[in-house]
Amino acid sequence: MKKGITTVLAGMLAMSLLGACGNSSSDNSANGGSSSGKVKIEFFQNKAEAKASFDKLVAKFNEANPNIVVTQVNPPDAETVLKTRAAKKDIPDVVGLGATDTFKSLATGGVFEDLSSDPVVQNIQPAYADMLKNYTANNQLNGVPFAANANGVIYNKAMFAEVGAEVPKTWDEFIAVAEKFKAAGKNAFYMTLKDSWTTLPAFNALSSNIAGIDFYSQRQAGSVKFSGTLDEVAQKQLQLTEYAQKDIFGKTYNDGNVAFAKGEAAMYLQGVWAIPEIQKANPSIDLGVFVLPATNDPSKNKLVSGVDTLLAVSKTSKHQAEAKKFIEFMLQPENVTQYITEQKAFPTITGVTQDDKSVEGLKEAFTQGNLVDFSDHYIPAAMKIDTLLQEFLQKKDIDAFTSKLDTEWDKVADRK
Amino acid sequence: MAKRRIAYYLMTIPALLLFFAFHTFPALQGIFYSFTNWDGFSDGYSFVGLKNFINVFKDENVYNAYFFTFKYAIAATILINVISLLIALGLNAKIKAKNFFRSVYFLPNVLGVLIVGYIFNYLFSNAFTIWGEKLGSGFLSQNILGNPDWAWVGIVIVGVWQGIAYNTILYLAGLQTIPADLYEASSLDGASKWREFWSITFPMLAPFFTINMVLAMKGGLMIFDQIVALTGGGPGRSTQSIAHLIYTGGFTGGEFAYQSANAVIYFIVIVAISLFQIKVLQRREMDL
Repeated sequence: MKKGITTVLAGMLAMSLLGACGNSSSDNSANGGSSSGKVKIEFFQNKAEAKASFDKLVAKFNEANPNIVVTQVNPPDAETVLKTRAAKKDIPDVVGLGATDTFKSLATGGVFEDLSSDPVVQNIQPAYADMLKNYTANNQLNGVPFAANANGVIYNKAMFAEVGAEVPKTWDEFIAVAEKFKAAGKNAFYMTLKDSWTTLPAFNALSSNIAGIDFYSQRQAGSVKFSGTLDEVAQKQLQLTEYAQKDIFGKTYNDGNVAFAKGEAAMYLQGVWAIPEIQKANPSIDLGVFVLPATNDPSKNKLVSGVDTLLAVSKTSKHQAEAKKFIEFMLQPENVTQYITEQKAFPTITGVTQDDKSVEGLKEAFTQGNLVDFSDHYIPAAMKIDTLLQEFLQKKDIDAFTSKLDTEWDKVADRK
Repeated sequence: MAKRRIAYYLMTIPALLLFFAFHTFPALQGIFYSFTNWDGFSDGYSFVGLKNFINVFKDENVYNAYFFTFKYAIAATILINVISLLIALGLNAKIKAKNFFRSVYFLPNVLGVLIVGYIFNYLFSNAFTIWGEKLGSGFLSQNILGNPDWAWVGIVIVGVWQGIAYNTILYLAGLQTIPADLYEASSLDGASKWREFWSITFPMLAPFFTINMVLAMKGGLMIFDQIVALTGGGPGRSTQSIAHLIYTGGFTGGEFAYQSANAVIYFIVIVAISLFQIKVLQRREMDL
């Protein structure tokens, strides 16, 4: 009996060794490229919501280019996976990423190709290209903006009509609308603060409009402090929680999408990326989006919009020509249109517009260029601003929060 | 004889090489990086001496993570050992369908930690809250994982639920090593069940008690998966364990070298605790 087990084990071991050899040899031929006839390109992206849309485009590309095989990789917690792979110097050929702090640090770390002289860039709206250049501060364009997003207030039109509320243009009107729902015994907002990142859409809208984006470069220079500057932002964000459902810290983003789709709240402080998920839960919902009015001056209330997905090419990729070809394909107007229609995203190339009815409310801001960037992208990731906000909204102490932002900022800067 | 010994040494080489390549070498690399300012992905880095270590001691988040981790580990170790010993005694008694119950109680151990975590995460937010509402309790109708003062209890519940399975099996094995004639003798002398437990069962289980304490404590100090599945360290940083802080700070936060320093310190702490536990508990085994 015992002998039998040993034989089986030895056999398994031998098999697994052979298996390992087999894997490594096929990997080699993939890296070698032409030896097997087909070039394999790994396309790594971080948007779980967009997986199906990308799959369609990838299939279309593979069909049109029989010599290239693009495979999409979309793991959970993709940004961390990417950083872990970067630590191993194993960067995917094409990377699709938001313009986040992860992109910023990888790009400054010299991981991506400079694409500023690439012909695909000519068609890009300069505002978005400049945004990416600002992040890296080396005047290189380390990624091509592919789609933009916007961060506003998603609202249930039927519920607005029920209580006779109008889309608010100022902060006071916004609070008045929330009061109206509260008086009617309804939840004005649905908050999902168990997922700490969902504190960010409201924070970005408030802080980008009230404190501004320049604040962060001034903070870096040391001429301003969070305490004093961010008090109003913190106070307003705290005020919004008064109009939300109960147990706001126990609900997750997925809970929120379903609950909002079922009409459990009138407004949802989220980016447009949540719309496809909400519609999946309730295809017949009649919803709209408006710009979160952070101040009482309607002309100063800008829409928070940034690069939702950018496409970057690894510096160490062995197939840069093919990788660039894929990016060029993705940026063709018909493919961009297909993607933004499915994802309710906004185009970054000229000549294409987002005409979907649900995001009509944001069109004016886009045509007038009334846009401002996400402020959390300017805060070092090591500070974990989302965690700090989550803690603040529970403790409700504005002074402690803003002074903690200062100490955390200094601490992270000191460790560099 | 000497020749045979050489053969034995040669046989250890494959395992030694694998262990060195995948365990010792990365550990040494981590210690090396803790003296640099490498962010985890850039091409270059420079040496910064002990700066990272000094900053670890200045970081409030590190103290917070140590506090949570020890609070969790101690609570989980005590609960796991008490409950699993009780279950083992029950499963060792003369009951019907003994083997069936033994496999049922072992079941949590074969389920993946993340799967269990995600299931409990759903239960905490959607099932337990409904029961709480039916009971009319304002506290129980809220997701305790969203409450900064109570979220750690939720994690302890899940950790203990899953952790008792393995320790129960070890205690059960221990109970079967106790010779039946000891119990016969004690019943002839008219000892009560209570007396029997404290004078025979518990002392005879001492080696198993030691190993279970060490294993449960080690598991508690290394807690990571449950946190990822249940709270992600939140609300705020109230359930962030040291392992979770090292991972998130090192990779998402881009402070690889700094968190390596944190990890080196934690390594020393764990070695010290394990040595202490084994020494103290083994002395107890001798005394008995």
